[in-house]
Amino acid sequence: MMNQEQRLELVTKGTVEIIQPAELQRVLEQKKKPRAYWGFECSGKQPS
Amino acid sequence: MMHIGTGLVCGAKIKDMVQAGFHFIIFLADWHSMINNKYGGDMEKIETAGEYFKHCFTALGLTEDKVEYVWASELASKPNYWERVIRIAKTTTAQRAMRSLPIMGRDMKTQDVETASLFYPCMQAADIFEMNLDVACAGIDQRKAHVLAREAGDKLRWEKPVALHTPMLMGLAGIQRSDKGSYDEDPKLSSVIAAKMSKSKPENTILLHDSPEIIEDKLRKAYCPPKIVEENPVIEYYRLLAFRANNPVTLDRDQKYGGDLKFSTYKELEEAYKTGEIHPQDLKANMARILADLLRGVREYFDKHPEPLAQMQRLETR
Repeated sequence: MMNQEQRLELVTKGTVEIIQPAELQRVLEQKKKPRAYWGFECSGKQPS
Repeated sequence: MMHIGTGLVCGAKIKDMVQAGFHFIIFLADWHSMINNKYGGDMEKIETAGEYFKHCFTALGLTEDKVEYVWASELASKPNYWERVIRIAKTTTAQRAMRSLPIMGRDMKTQDVETASLFYPCMQAADIFEMNLDVACAGIDQRKAHVLAREAGDKLRWEKPVALHTPMLMGLAGIQRSDKGSYDEDPKLSSVIAAKMSKSKPENTILLHDSPEIIEDKLRKAYCPPKIVEENPVIEYYRLLAFRANNPVTLDRDQKYGGDLKFSTYKELEEAYKTGEIHPQDLKANMARILADLLRGVREYFDKHPEPLAQMQRLETR
């Protein structure tokens, strides 16, 4: 099981921006299974 | 076809999130694609492309026991969805909504834009609240839509999401001068979007299904100025893709040129490239090998499940 610091490091790795880091930290502290998404347009032509 | 920007940059980030304990939703934005006139707005074709995307992410290891796949049309069929869209639309101006569309060129005039486009960022925000998300992930080109969602959350007293943004992967030709500065008033953001846009040419990007030979050929033709790391797509692929797993990277090199080189961090590799210790040809050939390795699982998956790929190919050639 990862500690909070490891979770935060994993989540922020390879990102260019987090709005806001303090809020992310709070989410990780308060929730074991927070919810996240990534939306993709369905098309081969348009890189997303 | 899906390219490595989506497959490897987004795919790896989603895996991180799952590993960190997130319930992760891969959202297949069929409605949004229709607004954006993908396949002429033909929903049946858009759904075929969405199914193909689902197979691609599955092939990358994001199987249905690890992530949840949700279609925008499922969400939009809920009774309160469109009310949410309208409530969000009421928190912002038409100008802001327009500017949140990364597909819009800076010079694009309002009169050239379909009114449906104004729904796009409002729907993005509605999706986030409707799915009760703590974190919204996207490429940095989506930042304005996320900021709009956060501001709407503040105004409507709905819990706003954390926005997490990943870099855009440069096309193999690097950033085209003519594209710079035409997508956004922020020159930095404009150049990342330009880099993204340049990938709409297939020879300029690596696709998930490219064979090792094609990858090698594309890399051989890539822009890779000696000793220069700025706007060099090949060295950027090392930074964003090869060193991502925190593993050391070994460059295979002919004995007569000094033999193999091992780097524990990206910085070490960057320094060696700047001094001219690594020849562009070696940088390219090794990246081709690394990418072919990263994509092996995807190739094997689609060898076993050829139909979704064949359907997608039929859509693309039409």
